Amino acid sequence: MGMQGDFLQLLKEQGYQIGTSVPAGTEVEITRGTTILAMKYRDGVLVAGDRRATAGNMVMYDRTDKVLELDRHSVMAIAGVPATAYEMVRVLEHSFKYYRRTQLQELSFEGKLRAVSKLLKDNVAAALAGTGAVAPIFAGYDFEQSSAKIFFYDILGAEFEGVEYAVSGSGSPTIRGILHYLNTWNGQPLAALPEEEATIQALRLLTCAAEFDSATGGVNHEANLYPVVKLITERGVRTVPDGTLKPLFESKVTRHV
Amino acid sequence: MYEEPYRWVEAVGNRRQYLDEQLKQGSPVVALSYADGTLLLTVSRGTPKLYEIYDRIALGGVGHPADLEKLRFSLLEMAHLEGFNRSPSDVTGARMMKLGLAPIIKQAFEEIFKAPFIVKILLAELSLKPGKDTFLTIDYDGTFEETSGCAVLAATKAIQARMVAYLKQAGHAPPLSLDAALALAAKAWALGSLAQAAETEADRKDEKESATPVAQEPDDAALLAHLRDTLADKTLEGAVLERQAPGSSKYRALTGEELASLVPKSAQAPA
Repeated sequence: MGMQGDFLQLLKEQGYQIGTSVPAGTEVEITRGTTILAMKYRDGVLVAGDRRATAGNMVMYDRTDKVLELDRHSVMAIAGVPATAYEMVRVLEHSFKYYRRTQLQELSFEGKLRAVSKLLKDNVAAALAGTGAVAPIFAGYDFEQSSAKIFFYDILGAEFEGVEYAVSGSGSPTIRGILHYLNTWNGQPLAALPEEEATIQALRLLTCAAEFDSATGGVNHEANLYPVVKLITERGVRTVPDGTLKPLFESKVTRHV
Repeated sequence: MYEEPYRWVEAVGNRRQYLDEQLKQGSPVVALSYADGTLLLTVSRGTPKLYEIYDRIALGGVGHPADLEKLRFSLLEMAHLEGFNRSPSDVTGARMMKLGLAPIIKQAFEEIFKAPFIVKILLAELSLKPGKDTFLTIDYDGTFEETSGCAVLAATKAIQARMVAYLKQAGHAPPLSLDAALALAAKAWALGSLAQAAETEADRKDEKESATPVAQEPDDAALLAHLRDTLADKTLEGAVLERQAPGSSKYRALTGEELASLVPKSAQAPA
């Protein structure tokens, strides 16, 4: 029944199923995505991700976009198996549009959070088999509460609010401690940082993650390759262009001391 | 009683009469290309008549709200499944019309023991490049046509033709700004609405001959006056598909302020 505006239900009626589980013991190197982070800043939420996708020790791709726009006011940053993660993003994107167009109103922020949870729950078998584990961060602007918010999920679909920041992916243990340090003893909390300062911190954090985690791609200066940084405010989602990241990286990140 | 073929033909003929009768009070819908996209305009009371179907497709309808809603849902389902399973570029107005609407509407129209859909539908599709926007309209019997530049829905084919002629004669040569397109669409709407009213009046008096000849279309003042009178108890409804809109969804409902500028201050009812 499409009357409720539930796109996932509509897909299921057509025989669709998210995530296919493979019997345990299948020995394949699966492509995975790596470090993502989200933090509050003065005007909203900043979400950033490195660009590397790896399979075992091999670098699969160095231009992955792990911070994906679901609609004008929400993004999902993905860590884990990209095949499943991109599929989830496609389902969510269509679900939000389908809901808006059938019900003639936006899906509420909470409704969007639930939609992410539901997809992860449907994917549990694949997640546990190791072929489809995804641990995303969802960030968006909540018009009911007039604030931008961060939520992160485990691979089973449990939802947690990141009050100040959230991290996910293999490089996240490295930067989680730094975020706590910055937020507590840096003179001002992350949520008070202006846009440029927050962007600089995000670039530094991802560079740090790349330093200690082989699966996180750092900044590739020669190839002009920078992390993806997106800002969410009341006005919507905006991508920080490479033209802005480049000078910030040169002046504030490389050999700064 | 309808077993014999000629009875069936007769029954279908009766249906046309019934549907024409049902649709003659409907508010016309005007769709028009302008410089940065496509505009849809109508006047509605209570239930909206303009809807978003997919990233670059909008729908305008005339007829029974329940029928319109049913067809809208079936289009939405088809468009979103197709856009998900294939890609958003494969969801085109022509496919939606030919595969999604036409067969259902035609079947309902010809199954004489069941109720037909009391609707006329217009789909506007925004192209990526200017000048390539398309419009598709479908009648209650399932016949559809594709046009470019503009398209309208009104009670009869003759009135639709007059409205299209009016829109074309105003000229699209230099692409219109949104304001100019709105003003033109509003006047075309008023023209259609006046023509429908005249036809109903003529039917009532049973003077069929006097209804047809139209020496001259009403002037701007008459059209605006009619629009102003109508807006006393109804509301203007407008939507655009904007080529430059950020993100994949190009549909936007026009705000009250944008539409308010249509009826010039001088023509508005004194406060």
